[in-house]
Amino acid sequence: MTVPYDVGDVIAARRQYNAGLASSGRRERVKWFPWALLAVLAVLPLIQLNGGGYNYVLHLVLYAMMYSAMASSWNILGGYTGYISLGHNVFFCIGGYFSGMILAYTGISSIITAPLAGLVAGAIGYLIGLVTLRMRGPTFIISSIALLMVARILFDNWHFVGGSNGVSLPPIGLGPQWAKIPYYYAFLVLAAVTVWCSYRIKHSKFGLGLRAISQDEVKAESAGIDTRLYKTLVFAISAFFVSVAGAVWGEYLTYIRPNIFLIILVAANLVLMCILGGKGTVAGPVVGTVVFVAFNEISLIVMGASEINLLVTGVIMVVTLLFFPAGIVGTLAKMKKLPRFLDWD
Amino acid sequence: MIDALQVLILGLALGGVFALMASGLTLIFGVMRIVNLAHPIMIIVGAFIAYWLFRSYGVDPILATPIAAAALFVIGIGLYKTVFEKEAANAKYSEMTVLLTFAVALCFDGLLGSLFSNTQRVTTPAYATDAFFLGDIFIPKGQAYAGIVSLVIIAGLLVFLKFTRFGTAIRATTQNRAAAQLMGVNVQRVSMLTFGIGLGLAGAAGALVSFIFSFFPAKHWEWIAILMSLVVLGGMGKIMGAVIGALLLSVIAAFVGTYAGATWSTMTFFIALFVILLVRPQGLLGDKVEEA
Repeated sequence: MTVPYDVGDVIAARRQYNAGLASSGRRERVKWFPWALLAVLAVLPLIQLNGGGYNYVLHLVLYAMMYSAMASSWNILGGYTGYISLGHNVFFCIGGYFSGMILAYTGISSIITAPLAGLVAGAIGYLIGLVTLRMRGPTFIISSIALLMVARILFDNWHFVGGSNGVSLPPIGLGPQWAKIPYYYAFLVLAAVTVWCSYRIKHSKFGLGLRAISQDEVKAESAGIDTRLYKTLVFAISAFFVSVAGAVWGEYLTYIRPNIFLIILVAANLVLMCILGGKGTVAGPVVGTVVFVAFNEISLIVMGASEINLLVTGVIMVVTLLFFPAGIVGTLAKMKKLPRFLDWD
Repeated sequence: MIDALQVLILGLALGGVFALMASGLTLIFGVMRIVNLAHPIMIIVGAFIAYWLFRSYGVDPILATPIAAAALFVIGIGLYKTVFEKEAANAKYSEMTVLLTFAVALCFDGLLGSLFSNTQRVTTPAYATDAFFLGDIFIPKGQAYAGIVSLVIIAGLLVFLKFTRFGTAIRATTQNRAAAQLMGVNVQRVSMLTFGIGLGLAGAAGALVSFIFSFFPAKHWEWIAILMSLVVLGGMGKIMGAVIGALLLSVIAAFVGTYAGATWSTMTFFIALFVILLVRPQGLLGDKVEEA
């Protein structure tokens, strides 16, 4: 019996067919929206030209961009791979301290050293991942909380980095009108790069492997995916972006202290933003962050700063998990009512 | 030698209370396969109830134990009905359920924090600062009483599980949920009541904790990892395991605390958690873990 077709031809035909399918599904997508959003954000600081006074607006946008980056980064691990980490702010802290200490001793701005801080945290994340990612499901969640507790004790007692009092950093030498601008652009770049990476990872073979792991790890492994390598790599990647955010955030605040970085509320926010927006989607963490930051700000104005914030966070989380666990983007997509400009997948 | 004996006794007394704190957690995990991150905050709720009774009516914290337990039992049933009932049937979302308990913990943390503020509190019955002396060894009365009451409650729980019909149903559900259901056990009802009992144990532990530790709402995050290390060491779902784990680890932590400083005493639990999860994830008494 002879083979009627050349194998290469079959594969090429199939590839062409798949490409056709993919393009027909995606033709409707609004590609200009992310670029437009980026452009608007890039020119937003111009409102300061007229004498300033918009620092509050800039701060809010900057804060939302930072959390978008961190939530997207968390999403690569928690959303695509299905490993929920409640201790991800450990890397936030590592980044903040690494760049913060360099700034305190040598005066080199954290914005410059931030990628380095990311690499350091990535390396540490890789090592931690080798250990903790051997656990699965609820056990991994517990180990991530334990990691946070260990880090808190270590940083609280490490005298070189100031213990629980932390370290003050020199403020940037710009007037109040311009002081926020460098950090604003740093976070803008970070958020854009993170979301882009999140998109690229989701659409790569690597991302396919990650999603296979989140569905069924044993089957993924038997299908030939090096799950151990994939998991540790994704943990390191996820740690990288969170750490870069921490580095810039530390200098922005002009002091680094364990109880800024290593509180459970930061981790809770990350998780909540992802779940609220839609775990495992590209646009989800960004949407979740914007909604959450807006909501938080409104509740701050209405009720003032207090422990109520924690309660509100918890209540939103319970409601989201119970009634629409797929999040805003996921639920809308399921109902086929997702506005096309939010379909970033 | 005397020093070592002294440390051992202090560790054991504390271990009794930790065992009670962990037993509810392990019970809930056994029946429902839920890692209840809201457990430690419930202990603090129990402590607050004991504190309030002590301050307002002068009720002794030990006598407040059943009151706190009853109150938490009701809260547990309410929580199960409102939040967990839908998710409990859904085994696929075990991670979602963990997040749900995390969210519940955040809610209670915020609620307590905003109602009572995050200041350190402690109940002060006369025996909290008193001690027995046996030769050179002293045993703080507060810790001794708390440890003994805890062990009595755990013994009661074990008897209840071993010799009553409902206890058998709980054990059956722990062993195999589907099979128990096929044998006519009302698994939903067992889950609900177990959740109530588990939180009731947390309430009792809270009342006892109120006079040996100072407590504040945000403290529970530290306890989560501590309790997890105890439960994981003993084997998830095994009550005797939790007791053994608690006694063992608190003795070790007491020694570490004496010879290396108090900071490292807490660290013992976290390091132990990692080591156990790596070396023997099913714990001392546990069966081989099957991941769903």
